[in-house]
Amino acid sequence: MTVDFIFDGLNQLFPAVAGNDFFLIIAMLLPVAALLGFITIYGFGVIYSEIKVSSFIQDKTGPMGQGPGLHAGKWGLLQPVADGIKLFIKEDIIPASADKPLFILAPFLIFIGALTAFIAVPFGEKIIIVDMNIGIFYIIGVGSLAVIALILAGWSSNNKWALFGGMRSAAQIISYEIPAGISLVVVIMLASSLNMQEIIAYQEGGLFNWIIFDNPFMPIVFVIFFISALAETNRTPFDLPESESELVAGFVTEYSGTRYAIFFLSEYANMFVISAVAATAFLGGWQSPFENFLNTPAWSVFWMISKTFFLIFVMIWVRWTVPRLRVDQLMHLCWKVFIPIGLFNVFAVAIWIVVIG
Amino acid sequence: MIKYFSDIFTAVSTIAGGMFITLTHLVKAKKGIATLQYPEERWPRPERNIGFNSESYNVIRSRLHVDMDDCIGCLKCERACPVDCIKIETAKAPERGEDIKDVKHVGITTNGTRKAMVVTRFDIDMTECCYCNLCTYPCPEECIFMTGGPNGKKHPIDYEFSEPDRSDLIYRFAKPGTKEGMENILNEKSKVEA
Amino acid sequence: MGVVHGEEMVLNIGPQHPATHGVLRLQVRTDGEVVSQITPYMGYLHRCFEKHSENVTYEQVIPFTDRCDYLSSMSMNFGYVVAMERLMEIKVNDRVEHIRVVMAELQRIASHLLCTGVFGLDLGAFTPFLWALRDRERILDLFELTCGARLLYNYMWVGGLSHDIPVGFVESTFEFLDYFEPKVDELENILAHNKILVERSADIGVMPKDVAISYGVTGPNLRASGVKWDLRKNDPYSIYDRFEFDVPIGEGQKGTVGDCWDRFYVRIIEIRESVKIIRQALASMPKEGDVHQSLPKKIRPPKGSVYARTETPRGDLGYYIESDGSPIPYRVKMRSPAFTALSVLDEIGAGWLLSDVLAILGSLDIVLGEIDR
Repeated sequence: MTVDFIFDGLNQLFPAVAGNDFFLIIAMLLPVAALLGFITIYGFGVIYSEIKVSSFIQDKTGPMGQGPGLHAGKWGLLQPVADGIKLFIKEDIIPASADKPLFILAPFLIFIGALTAFIAVPFGEKIIIVDMNIGIFYIIGVGSLAVIALILAGWSSNNKWALFGGMRSAAQIISYEIPAGISLVVVIMLASSLNMQEIIAYQEGGLFNWIIFDNPFMPIVFVIFFISALAETNRTPFDLPESESELVAGFVTEYSGTRYAIFFLSEYANMFVISAVAATAFLGGWQSPFENFLNTPAWSVFWMISKTFFLIFVMIWVRWTVPRLRVDQLMHLCWKVFIPIGLFNVFAVAIWIVVIG
Repeated sequence: MIKYFSDIFTAVSTIAGGMFITLTHLVKAKKGIATLQYPEERWPRPERNIGFNSESYNVIRSRLHVDMDDCIGCLKCERACPVDCIKIETAKAPERGEDIKDVKHVGITTNGTRKAMVVTRFDIDMTECCYCNLCTYPCPEECIFMTGGPNGKKHPIDYEFSEPDRSDLIYRFAKPGTKEGMENILNEKSKVEA
Repeated sequence: MGVVHGEEMVLNIGPQHPATHGVLRLQVRTDGEVVSQITPYMGYLHRCFEKHSENVTYEQVIPFTDRCDYLSSMSMNFGYVVAMERLMEIKVNDRVEHIRVVMAELQRIASHLLCTGVFGLDLGAFTPFLWALRDRERILDLFELTCGARLLYNYMWVGGLSHDIPVGFVESTFEFLDYFEPKVDELENILAHNKILVERSADIGVMPKDVAISYGVTGPNLRASGVKWDLRKNDPYSIYDRFEFDVPIGEGQKGTVGDCWDRFYVRIIEIRESVKIIRQALASMPKEGDVHQSLPKKIRPPKGSVYARTETPRGDLGYYIESDGSPIPYRVKMRSPAFTALSVLDEIGAGWLLSDVLAILGSLDIVLGEIDR
């Protein structure tokens, strides 16, 4: 949508050369540049909030300082910046016995997966980079790219811990895509569309029109989707691929410096995407929680971002509360709990739609 | 089947309970914070009021210090040290209890003991020190102590000492030049006697 | 369904690994994630404690005992002075005994707090670990108040203590206990009954009674296997026979008797029992008494040998001291409880998944300083 908007704008601005390919490329690149900037700023913000939330939960202050300089700024605000600078100026180490091309490829691949998913995220009523008619399907599809990157990272490091991490992540992410997908199928059934904006439009009219309150089964569906989302983004209690007390650092054991930073950033970018999808599919997207209350296009961005950030906060909160599952328990949870209940929900909601809706 | 659902129920309830506990910590963050901003704030050192006879107790573990003017060179601390980090060398003073100006030797301690020995070397290797405090108890003149404590007014506590070089952590308490000075004095004395 | 066997892989856990609690190297043979054999290699922290003791005087051994089990230095001091006093037939006065018991039990709380916290950390729960450390700091503050040191005290001496407790110690200890008791409940609520932790630890690494006894496992690990054996009750030393407390044993509440969860939970109950003992000891502590009263002028035990055992947070700590009549011990041998706990690892850990092995290792609560000595 935004791409079309910029393209049209450029054409109107320069009518003499209207419609050439150069404008199309600019119209495509501009939002991507804005997106990269957004991810960077969001990365700083979310890393800072992760540090601070965890610190407050653990009765610590977290990074603190009285001003720039040796300290990390007022209230440690510059800590993520300092971390970033530290990671980017570190020596780039590639282990001698690593599979070099794959080792280099893996971080790029995971970042591409995270970045391309952003394209279909509806940031606001008017702000969505490409409004695809299969938006939700596209995000799920692109999100699977991460698993390839994780296996590559685990395999190419030529390290036993990394191999364990890579194998665990492959099993985990592929398994948990199923309950996540089943949960979204229910949403698609209700909204009868794959388009993100149409799913949001379906939830128009306040809190109780949101899909999560649509029928009695939806809260369960939402919980299943959210927990599967945690598993897909490798967050605790499902951080088995990089479980630090077992596998040292899992698939990132051999990564350092910039490459590690990219893995790190991708994890947080994935968190945003998956939270945005959850907010879109269950919590009304950019809709205001009350009918006719601050329901303008400008406020829509605020609602979307705040809903997404609330879900990210819950992810952080869960991470600093619960222990980690074991591999077989992870699979047990997926195949014996989530998938049966998820399938039951699909049938139940289908009957609900036919009988009541 | 019942177990299946009861398991799910306990999982949800216990995790929700745990999350409630962490949330209360998050909400009450201001009250519960236990950390200090180290260089600006310091943990208040407990006030040690031993009650009786506090002068004979030294309940501080910090850098060792020696008041050389009081040291009589009895080697008791050297013998007490379990890690041998104290090295003392002494020379016999020409006259018991008399000052020797050349090496700034003080003949009588603050307790009134007349010194028979001149300490020519008193090295404490703080890299080896295990802070067991065993050397401070046998000292008859209470001249070796950990900084702070009963001597806190004279020597404020120093447990954060650091040096850029490892060899700087060997503290040499004997006054510089004592060894050579004493050798000269003793040589002259033997010449006179000869 | 048959079990598929793949190629076995040898994996070195440690010596630098987040979950080995010090410098321990575990060589494990794994088939996929299933561990078939665990071989612990220790000695990375060997400091010749026993040989060193033969070259220093009796009182100089005490700072070295501190450094064996650095998480429960008071208890290590206690064991040594109990042995020495038995050898020299010294009877210390009641005030000293009370102070020693208070210190040893405070140390037990501190050590168990760290163990339960680290067990959670091994299973991925970071927050309870820091809460446990926060409360442990308060105990270390009390120790600092008493003897100036926070970790390695050299507080208990043969025939007494290095100095008396300061004015206000009793009050601040009561204050700490009042603050601390709700925190134990919190720790238990967030950790012990959490479904994920129960899943991770119940029925895992079961140590049956007979295995525990035949390997010589002692302390909370033995009690978790259902054996009511506590030297404070069974062979009372010092004045433990005067206090009322229970010896918690593993009951298999969430799984089998002797599993990781029992080993973890026994420690939480023991913290509460220690609080009970401290309250009693502080209440009945005599106001008068010189802690240096029975301090020998020179420690020169008669010819002979002694073996004395005490209950540290990790189990039976035994000191065998042989004297040839000189001020330097002829032989000091330490029976360390963590060593036996580590030796049972292969027996109870083989056959579990890699994650479980680290959970089992965490539940055994080993301290490498004591194992390597």
